[in-house]
Amino acid sequence: MAREVNWERNHDPVGIWNGRGKAALVARGHSPTDRRWDGESLDKSLGAFMMIAVQNALDDAGITIDDVDGIIGSAGGQGNGQPLSDVWGPRPYFDAPYDSEDGLTHVTGQWLRQQMGFKNLRYINNHGDPVWNLIGQASQAIADGRAEVVVVTYPNGNLPGRYHQDPSNQARGPAVWPNTWGWGLSGQGFTFNQYCQKYGTNHDRMAPFVVQERKNGLLWEHSYYAQHEPGEFTEEDYLNGRMIARDLSIFDCDRPVLAAAAYVMVSADRAKDMKQKPVYILDHTESQFSPRSLVQTIDDTEEWTDIQAQRSYNGSGLKPEDIDIFAPYDGFAVFTQYYIEAFGWRGVKRGEAHDFYAGDISLKGPNPLNSGGGNMGTGRMRTVFITDPLEQLQGRAGDRQVTTKAEVAVTHGVLPITAGTVVMSTSPD
Amino acid sequence: MAILLSFDIDGTLELGDPPGGVTTEMVRKARDVGFIIGSCSDKPLSVQRKIWEDMELTPAFVSAKHQLGKVRRENPADAYYHMGDRDTDYMAAKDNNFGFWWAHEAAEQPWLEFDMNNHEQIPITT
Amino acid sequence: MARPIVPVPDPATQPFWDACNEGKLIVQYCSVCDRRQFPPEAACRDCGFNFHLTWQETSGRAKIVGYSITYDSRLVQWHPLQPFLNVIVALEEDPVINFHTNLIDDFGTNLSEEPDIPIGATCEVQFVEAEPGRMIPEWKLVK
Ligand SMILES: [Mg+2]
Ligand SMILES: [Zn+2]
Repeated sequence: MAREVNWERNHDPVGIWNGRGKAALVARGHSPTDRRWDGESLDKSLGAFMMIAVQNALDDAGITIDDVDGIIGSAGGQGNGQPLSDVWGPRPYFDAPYDSEDGLTHVTGQWLRQQMGFKNLRYINNHGDPVWNLIGQASQAIADGRAEVVVVTYPNGNLPGRYHQDPSNQARGPAVWPNTWGWGLSGQGFTFNQYCQKYGTNHDRMAPFVVQERKNGLLWEHSYYAQHEPGEFTEEDYLNGRMIARDLSIFDCDRPVLAAAAYVMVSADRAKDMKQKPVYILDHTESQFSPRSLVQTIDDTEEWTDIQAQRSYNGSGLKPEDIDIFAPYDGFAVFTQYYIEAFGWRGVKRGEAHDFYAGDISLKGPNPLNSGGGNMGTGRMRTVFITDPLEQLQGRAGDRQVTTKAEVAVTHGVLPITAGTVVMSTSPD
Repeated sequence: MAILLSFDIDGTLELGDPPGGVTTEMVRKARDVGFIIGSCSDKPLSVQRKIWEDMELTPAFVSAKHQLGKVRRENPADAYYHMGDRDTDYMAAKDNNFGFWWAHEAAEQPWLEFDMNNHEQIPITT
Repeated sequence: MARPIVPVPDPATQPFWDACNEGKLIVQYCSVCDRRQFPPEAACRDCGFNFHLTWQETSGRAKIVGYSITYDSRLVQWHPLQPFLNVIVALEEDPVINFHTNLIDDFGTNLSEEPDIPIGATCEVQFVEAEPGRMIPEWKLVK
């Protein structure tokens, strides 16, 4: 199995993708969603959850393990085996296959192959990108003929203790700049502060958006909130959120959870045999930037997201008015406005996102933004950004099914500084 | 005399996520003995109200964690205590001059030791 | 005042920290690209080489372009100072170049009310001791 680099479409002009319509997303599978792993229950480890999700995805597609010839995945939602929490390995391990982090807090394709008995794989890659990039990479591998039936895996873990806490009193390497001046989440707070200055808006005007996302999320059975905190989330709740880093409150930050999802992607030929209606990939594009200086400013943010949007339009040949379902990431709720304004969805221009939120963004209205609920409505799973557009286009989103046309979807994430964009359609052309 | 007990939820109450050592029975008993009870948590206010419904108890207040000062202003009492499992709980208590118990200490129901007729015997622990 | 977290220099940043100890704020400069670069890196980000990369002293004057206030940091050592101010200032002679500062002299820490941060106001660099022998740049408002 060859190791692959440079599969991304990240150099302008990208032009219409030569794989357009050659790959299709057909099925999804999810594990249960928990708040965290307790460090003991092997049947609730990330590996166990990942196997549940893969089997559910295969069942959804109506295929077996023997049909699969590729696995493309993330080992754990964080690159390079970075810790997710202040409680981390090495820990006392268990009997095989739980004798390392692989299977507990990370899940490689190789581990899945062993545990689940995949026999016909000719392509495995788990370099750990966010889920949009994985869908892009799988589309490329299929379009290039390197695999025909690919399972995309996306496990996302969480452990006891506080997320990403750093106890050190010294800073080294790139961390000297943020840590010396106590700069943690303040980066996103600062960029948002500049946005508010530039456009004369404020934090509280985010309320309708976050409240709507929480509503939508409650209608998705895999949402953390649907499973564990099913009450209505109100504007009063939002406005009373504890500030973490001004102007980001606790309700602008996604809640770390433990969950796994898997997707079945196939060649256009194989798509005809699947149990579910195929959703074709019209384009994938990727991007990576660095700030002009130390800190990402609103100017950086708007320049980067403009490039991301134009690159995607250039790659798909579509215009803003062609996008029916739009799923811009919200891992911090403030991201979404940068993306809507860059893509110009529903005619929203720079500085207008909060006005747009004040209008009708309800699920059954004309502008069903993030109909799956985003991370704010589901927890830090990210996979709703693939599953919801897929289900909307397949017409099986149930209570979340939008009443507007649902033939073309664009999903975009993760950060302004590095992102992948996937364009899906009910038709391969 | 009036003593107010503010309960964190996650990691403190048994109905929290993760569950803590303070059982619904302990909260009920505190209410029955005459403490002013309520919650102060990072959970949305609406979710806190729902948890009190599930406990079949009526709280005197529900509060976001950074609004403990407002709890003091709106609920006259002779002494104020908060309990929780995080440094954010400890800081909120300290900033607002509440006595504080860590969740595992709270599970021992230290308030039951209080002599309600003797103000001097009730310490502020910060 | 000692700082909660102190920087440990590496080969790329050593000249910057050494200059701080001498009371100078320096940034990299690539003469072929005619651009300043901060934070310091092994090569120029534009041309990709270090052939033309030197150090240049700055005026140390900068303008406030935005801020955040940290209430609940992921950096545990900073917890006792919460809430504290995080300000970004842009260099007066080259506003592309920006720096972190806490403006502690002007606003302190443990901000009880939301401070009125004067966006656009001019600040000048000063050097404060993060630990004995280690100076770091901070800014203060020019009154
Ligand atoms: Mg708690
Ligand atoms: Zn250069």
